[in-house]
Amino acid sequence: MTLALPTAKAPRRHRPLGDWLILTAIVVISVAAAFPLAWMVLTSLKTPAETMQTPPVWFPATPSLDAYFKVAGVIDAGRSFLNSAIIAILTTAGILVTSLLAGYAFAKYEFRGRNWIFAAVIATMFLPPIVTLIPLYRMVGYLHIDGNLAGVIVPNLANAFGIFLMRQFIKGVPDELIDAARIDGASELRIVFSIVAPSVVPAIAALALFAFVYHWNSYLWPLTVLQGHTDQYPIVISLSRLLSYNRGAMNTGLVMAGATMAVLPPLVLFVLLQRFFVDSIVSSGVKG
Amino acid sequence: MLGPALLLLGVFILVPMALTVWLSFQDWSSETGFDTAKFIGLDNFFEIFGPTSVGRDFKGALVNTALYTLASVVLTLPLSVLFGLLVYQMRVGGGVVLRTVLFSTYMVPMIAVALVWSKLYSPSEGPINQMLGWVGMPGSPWLSSPDTALGSIVLLNVWQQVGYFTVLAVAGLTQIPGVVYEAAAIDGARPLQRFFFITLPLLRRTLLFSAVIGIINAVQVFEPVALITQGGPIGATNVLTYHIRRVGIERSQGGLGSAMAVTLMLALIVLIVALFAFARRGGEAEQ
Repeated sequence: MTLALPTAKAPRRHRPLGDWLILTAIVVISVAAAFPLAWMVLTSLKTPAETMQTPPVWFPATPSLDAYFKVAGVIDAGRSFLNSAIIAILTTAGILVTSLLAGYAFAKYEFRGRNWIFAAVIATMFLPPIVTLIPLYRMVGYLHIDGNLAGVIVPNLANAFGIFLMRQFIKGVPDELIDAARIDGASELRIVFSIVAPSVVPAIAALALFAFVYHWNSYLWPLTVLQGHTDQYPIVISLSRLLSYNRGAMNTGLVMAGATMAVLPPLVLFVLLQRFFVDSIVSSGVKG
Repeated sequence: MLGPALLLLGVFILVPMALTVWLSFQDWSSETGFDTAKFIGLDNFFEIFGPTSVGRDFKGALVNTALYTLASVVLTLPLSVLFGLLVYQMRVGGGVVLRTVLFSTYMVPMIAVALVWSKLYSPSEGPINQMLGWVGMPGSPWLSSPDTALGSIVLLNVWQQVGYFTVLAVAGLTQIPGVVYEAAAIDGARPLQRFFFITLPLLRRTLLFSAVIGIINAVQVFEPVALITQGGPIGATNVLTYHIRRVGIERSQGGLGSAMAVTLMLALIVLIVALFAFARRGGEAEQ
């Protein structure tokens, strides 16, 4: 990469044809990729009549936020957002703690069967959730956490990707640092949270963002465990109620307004912190 | 240290996985406790592969999922390499913008993606057929015809996920040492030669990883089907995650659903082992 840099920014009076082709491709692909989201926002600002016209209207004549206010009349949007936030934040917190502890053990402890246990943990990463869905649905009933947020959260408090990511980064923390703390009489828990954790902050940030976005967006498990308990629904599931309402009322703008609201938190987090996302994918994909 | 994580993974992944396998040999309603399960040997498997409507629906879902997975991976991987090259190149700016736009679609909840695309695909009120009309091409019925519905869901899935695979491809590209290209340039290799004889072979591990993740992601497709098509029209988009949940939970046929889940798991294991074996053989042939 560095080798290419000096020539890359060299000023040129005439760009060769190849450069124009590359630039055109970048612009066309970016616009195509952004188009559906732009359409979503535009449609949320249209009047009901505009959303039903043939051929479709691209830009609303008088953009209005009516649809956003109407969403609140159909679903309890505030409650849904709160449910989503509770699910995403508590699940993320749990994943951070369990991943730090287990990642530390796999990175720094020598014990019999370590590699086998680690391989088994990694294998769970490749298991599609549908394979365990049916018995899990019954099990949360035995644990008396079906139909509420605890049932959504508890089964997801540990995950293999988090353990893997933490192990990869904690391996790079110098042993001398940990040994020095031990000599000072620090407990292992103290070492994890006040010595190891501060040294892997970028990885923790990446994992926190991934876990938050994943569990904000997740649909299959909350739908299964919460079925019917509408007051517990996160926003992504309330959206589907908006759609069934919409089938009667024919107001596409309403659905698009709800979707825009649901999309915002993960999208804003990503735009603010995309460097961490990208770095962690790179390290999980390549070093793995 | 390992206690909390292993306990949670054990209770919420290994135990239900073992239960799925056990339940696949039982007659069991998922509305009742596990103690009501009755051992019936391989009957569930005979039924899901049999000639009755249960078997027809399951085999249909299996074929749909296979087609969907194949199409998703076959479209996503080449696009991810092409987009990865555009993000990675330094000749013109804009690579980071492209990466940001592509990856941001991956952050959007699938449910919102499904809602938006169902409008984009609308044959009369949607902008896609309108734009096809502008360039003189005929519109498509998209989600409303059994011939095009599954392909339409593949396209929206590729749109959502290609950014993630592009970032993986860029990660792979950064691992290729610059000296390899310099040596090739000295030997007079043309750009296309460099791509096919250096870039692609050296991206083999990345592409293998992408293929595995792509397959695992593709069999999980659920939201667009549950929300928009309900498996239709005429079963054309009935895919396994949707079908297994419908049979095992909505219809409470826990034994049958578990047998389907076990079949899916076995199929995935065979597919991924085969993929790794194939990639290893390819690697040896080159050396």
